[in-house]
Amino acid sequence: MSLAFALSFLAPLALMPAALFAALRPGQRPGSLPRWSEASAFAAFALALGGLVQTALGPVAGVGLLEGAAQIGLRADLVSTAVASLVGFIGWIVMRYSRTYLDGEAREGAFHGLMLVTLAAVLVFAQAATLPTLIIATFAVGLTLRKLLLFYPDRPEAQRAATKFARVWYAGDVMLACAAGLLFSKFGTLDLGALPAAAAASGLGFAGTLGVAAIVAAAALKTAAFPLHGWLTEVMEAPTPVSALLHAGIINSGGVLLITAAPLVQSSTGAMAALVMIGGFTALFGAAVMLTQSAIKTALAWSTISQMGFMLLQCGLGLWTLALLHIVAHSLYKAHAFLSSGNAVTEVAGIRRPGPVAVPSVPAVLKSFALALAIFAVIAAAFTAAFGPKSPQALALGAILIFGVAYLVAQGLADRAPVALTKRTAASALAAAVGYFSFQTIAQAIWGPILPAAPMPTELEWALLVVAVASFGLVAFAQALFPLWAHHPATAGLRVHLANGLYLNALLDRAIGGFRITGSR
Amino acid sequence: MFMKHSQITPVRLSAILEAAEAAARAIPPAFPLDATVAVNPFLGQTGEDLATAAARLGRVAGIRVTRKGADYAAAIRDGRINEDDLADALAASIAPLRPADTTHLRRAAEQLGDGPAPAALPTVADLAAQATGIDWPALIDKCIGLWAAGQFDRGQALWSPAPGSEAFAAWRAWAMHDLTPEIAGLKGFCAHVAAAPDTPERAILFAAEALGITDAAAETAFHRLFMSMGGWSQHARWLLWQAELAGDTDRTMVDLLAIRLIWEEALLAHAPEVAERWAATVAAHAEPVAPGADEVALAILQDAADRGHQRRLVAALDGEAPSGDRPFLQAAFCIDVRSEVFRRALESIDDSIATIGFAGFFGLPLAHHAHGSDIREARLPVLLNPAVETTSAGDPARDQQARITARSARAWGRFRQAAVSSFAFVEAMGPVYAAKLVKSALGFAPKAKPEPAPEVIGGMSAEAKADTGAAVLKAMSLTMAHGEIVLLLGHGGNVTNNPHESAYHCGACGGYTGEVSARLLAILLNDPETRAGLAARGVEVPADTLFVAGLHDTTTDRVTIYEDGLPGPRAGDLARVREWLAQAAKVARAERAVRLPGARWNTIHQRASNWAEIRPEWGLAGCAAFIAAPRAATAGRDLGGRAFLHSYDWRADEGFGTLELIITAPVVVASWISLQYFGSSVAPEMFGGGNKLIHNVVGGIGVIEGNGGRLRAGLPWQAVHDGAVLAHEPLRLSVMIEAPREEILGVLERHPGVRDLFDNGWLHLFVLKDGKVDARYRPGLEWTDTAPQTLAA
Repeated sequence: MSLAFALSFLAPLALMPAALFAALRPGQRPGSLPRWSEASAFAAFALALGGLVQTALGPVAGVGLLEGAAQIGLRADLVSTAVASLVGFIGWIVMRYSRTYLDGEAREGAFHGLMLVTLAAVLVFAQAATLPTLIIATFAVGLTLRKLLLFYPDRPEAQRAATKFARVWYAGDVMLACAAGLLFSKFGTLDLGALPAAAAASGLGFAGTLGVAAIVAAAALKTAAFPLHGWLTEVMEAPTPVSALLHAGIINSGGVLLITAAPLVQSSTGAMAALVMIGGFTALFGAAVMLTQSAIKTALAWSTISQMGFMLLQCGLGLWTLALLHIVAHSLYKAHAFLSSGNAVTEVAGIRRPGPVAVPSVPAVLKSFALALAIFAVIAAAFTAAFGPKSPQALALGAILIFGVAYLVAQGLADRAPVALTKRTAASALAAAVGYFSFQTIAQAIWGPILPAAPMPTELEWALLVVAVASFGLVAFAQALFPLWAHHPATAGLRVHLANGLYLNALLDRAIGGFRITGSR
Repeated sequence: MFMKHSQITPVRLSAILEAAEAAARAIPPAFPLDATVAVNPFLGQTGEDLATAAARLGRVAGIRVTRKGADYAAAIRDGRINEDDLADALAASIAPLRPADTTHLRRAAEQLGDGPAPAALPTVADLAAQATGIDWPALIDKCIGLWAAGQFDRGQALWSPAPGSEAFAAWRAWAMHDLTPEIAGLKGFCAHVAAAPDTPERAILFAAEALGITDAAAETAFHRLFMSMGGWSQHARWLLWQAELAGDTDRTMVDLLAIRLIWEEALLAHAPEVAERWAATVAAHAEPVAPGADEVALAILQDAADRGHQRRLVAALDGEAPSGDRPFLQAAFCIDVRSEVFRRALESIDDSIATIGFAGFFGLPLAHHAHGSDIREARLPVLLNPAVETTSAGDPARDQQARITARSARAWGRFRQAAVSSFAFVEAMGPVYAAKLVKSALGFAPKAKPEPAPEVIGGMSAEAKADTGAAVLKAMSLTMAHGEIVLLLGHGGNVTNNPHESAYHCGACGGYTGEVSARLLAILLNDPETRAGLAARGVEVPADTLFVAGLHDTTTDRVTIYEDGLPGPRAGDLARVREWLAQAAKVARAERAVRLPGARWNTIHQRASNWAEIRPEWGLAGCAAFIAAPRAATAGRDLGGRAFLHSYDWRADEGFGTLELIITAPVVVASWISLQYFGSSVAPEMFGGGNKLIHNVVGGIGVIEGNGGRLRAGLPWQAVHDGAVLAHEPLRLSVMIEAPREEILGVLERHPGVRDLFDNGWLHLFVLKDGKVDARYRPGLEWTDTAPQTLAA
């Protein structure tokens, strides 16, 4: 094959005919449009996958237009085509779902059109070669997503959610524009491939450092990181497929932005430290709030906040391949979780069927942590022997993840758990541990060569590593002992504050008038 | 404060608490979605007629309980309502404000058009919102919603409140810590809650004093507050319902009212400028509830619409069809309207097939434990208490195995959900979800294996078996002329990823499928000990009669046969039955496909496994009639899947015990179903489950819409509307019974609650004679002979 460009560049274009069709038939039951929109989403997926294959086989040139500050273009490497394939896949699943789900809606055709345009913009974003391309794409995503959030425009909740989303999202776009301005003034280019080389040659300097800070800020806003996470917890006002696309595709843009600009971001120690702190805190905060949420989609939204925080933490640690793996894994999981959220009634009923949950005691939990760490040591040693040594950051991250596995082990070690259950949970724990080490090894093999390696930790980073491991370990330990303290009166207040997300969203509402009567009331 | 409260007299105290009780009883219960059944949303209003209920619910909820004037005008234009219907409906009305003649009635329909929607009397929150610009009602929805979601959660959140705490105490502890109201501008709310009385009764009383709610105003003022909490009030009312069924009581309703009143009290203190308007509102609440001319006209138009349907139904029932010899196959179905389509199809396949209709729990009051489950499932109409404990545990080792599997799945689920471990889960399992997504998107689902055959826990004596068997067969009017095969069919919906799944199951089985009841009965009736005792109890079952259990899948019309110890030599007979059932399924699917948007007869099965399908089937949408008569009265007539058909032969009913049972149980259950569809169609914002596209399942018990805090009870909009038009024509059920007139009146006299339904027009009643409509019931235990009608009219 000697195509001059990557097939994945065509993926956004493949969606346009159906989007035009939708513009002509925006109403109810628009004939064959739903089938066309699914078919074109599938075509976009296939094209993106084609690009992935091309880049796997060898380097593929990008395409570009214009010069200087207005330079726009697309690039094809294993990162961009993998993310495009992921988005294409989610897009196909979501459009297939919408084909049935939206049937009979008054603005059925318009929905398909808006979804397709959003999808196209995300596909462009994933493959952007320059900052202006990123800015145009993300701005377009903001425009169409806002319209989708207002799919039921008469709902005051939808109006509030859309307003909040738009403000945070566009603030991120403004940050990106600032970054572009600063970086261009310093380096004279906005080509994402050329910027790191320029930065390496001349150092970031003040303007460059500010530019990177702006990129980090944009990423934090777009991944719904603490403290401006509130918008993400309200956007289930749009039909479920929008939530699925948002949580599995659009929300990744912050991470993709960071990974795309990885060499640049990594050259700023401050930016990396900020990512570790913002990401680590958001991860724990979101996860804790999620525990208190009784509405499935709301709980899933908090889960996304927390998972995206974890991804930012990985970026901050310089574990770029793992961050990318996390994006892929999380998207697939979250798309399924949203689209199948109607099963929640059956699932909750199923939880109660086999009787009460066996509660592990403190010794059992300690034992489970020891066991999990032993599993970690064995597997880490085995993988190190097979695939080479791991960085301190990767080991720290492994330890954090293994604390999670300890929770699974602990449930099987509860005094009243039957032996058969202990065996099963132990087997699952082992499978989980092997599973993520394998996926990480694969990710490293695919993306390792093109993404920067984790830097040698500085003193600050060592300190952050220790704090991160300690705090995740502490939370995991508390979590395993959860039934022993969660209903104690002393924690009742904590539960109220956490269930309210520590009121940050309420404060944001107050600041932007979110409590006020909307037009339709 | 102290001086004022010391003046509260015992009379005042009891008046306020009585009003609270009355308001609580005006709310219908909402059953949690894991096993939901239809409930009459007007359960608290059956003591008054539609027009009065319209006035009351307009006042307390701002909803319409009939269709819009324009809808009736359209029905008049296209002939669904004709001049006779209008004249008869007008003549039946005794309302002082009724239109003078049908010309005025027609004009009223045109003039009412699409509006105006009734406006509820404002709450203090509404008034304060207008005065301060802050959307207090939305904030209250959100704050109460977040608290209630946790309080009533059955396992969605890992960190739920301490179990067993009473709602009011739990809420006080919550609200004293929750800073949201203060951030929104309601300064001092936490302190206000802390200073509120610690019992709900005193809190209600103190708040009523502070708000100046008079005794006369209290009932509808409280009703208004209950309605403002939507499904949460209905969930609390369900808790009361369950408690009372078990001979107990529950205080959650009182708790909710106290909570809501504390909010009102705080808002009145926050926005004292609304005091004057609030006093006027209280005065309006003190006015007696009386319908205006619009409500009366709409109620008469609704009656005319009912009569239009009755006119067509009466014409269709033109006398008994001749019935043949002993049938080879006798198939017993649930009375559910979806069975009508399949029964008609099945009977058309072969002359030796007869069908009967009976409530799908077959009269067995079961509390069932499924395979590997501790949950006690009440598989019977919700009006009754279970009396027989059954289990599908089967082989104990397998049951234990199933539990271990379920528990490790649960441990895995907690691993997925918990803090920190959720990160490990995503990294280890996320990529696997690519395969899951493809599977779900393409509709691949593992087929569920049938559970082991159910059995009665502790077994039954030969005596008990024969007693139960004989009682059931007598109630089914099945005491002689049994077929060689008697098929006992339960039914259940077949849907994927649908929170309202249980709404498609069997209402007579408590929102579960009818599988267990059918299988248990077939096993019981094939038991030699049962058979030996039947003759002595007046039931003759031929030796070659074989009872076979099955489950009718109402989505795909497939029937599953359960071979629970069926004798091998009858395999040929069963094969023949299976063949017939498959043929009937094709006919039924073709009929159903016409109504379902985008469906064809050969694609219906895909709807069952499509995880994005929001209209897998129409459920009971369209239900409009209940006919208790021998099948001969309805056989061969196309009733369009709109009639509950109960087989009943009054000649075989000694002492009319079965008649009494039919009128007090299946008729009442059918009225709940028909009125739920009615309520979800005409007042979807209050009695409907909302828009499926933005459903957000909460606590495993119900749904909220999007990010809103209010629980939504009732049927989703997509279950009654196809996008373009209502799939359920809102009509009140026409009950037709073939039995002596005076016996029917006797039953109504003995059951005033049921009589209310007929006297106040929530149901229509007709008596049949030889398969034709003979007389219409008039309020006050009277009959009017119906003139012979023909289709030509």
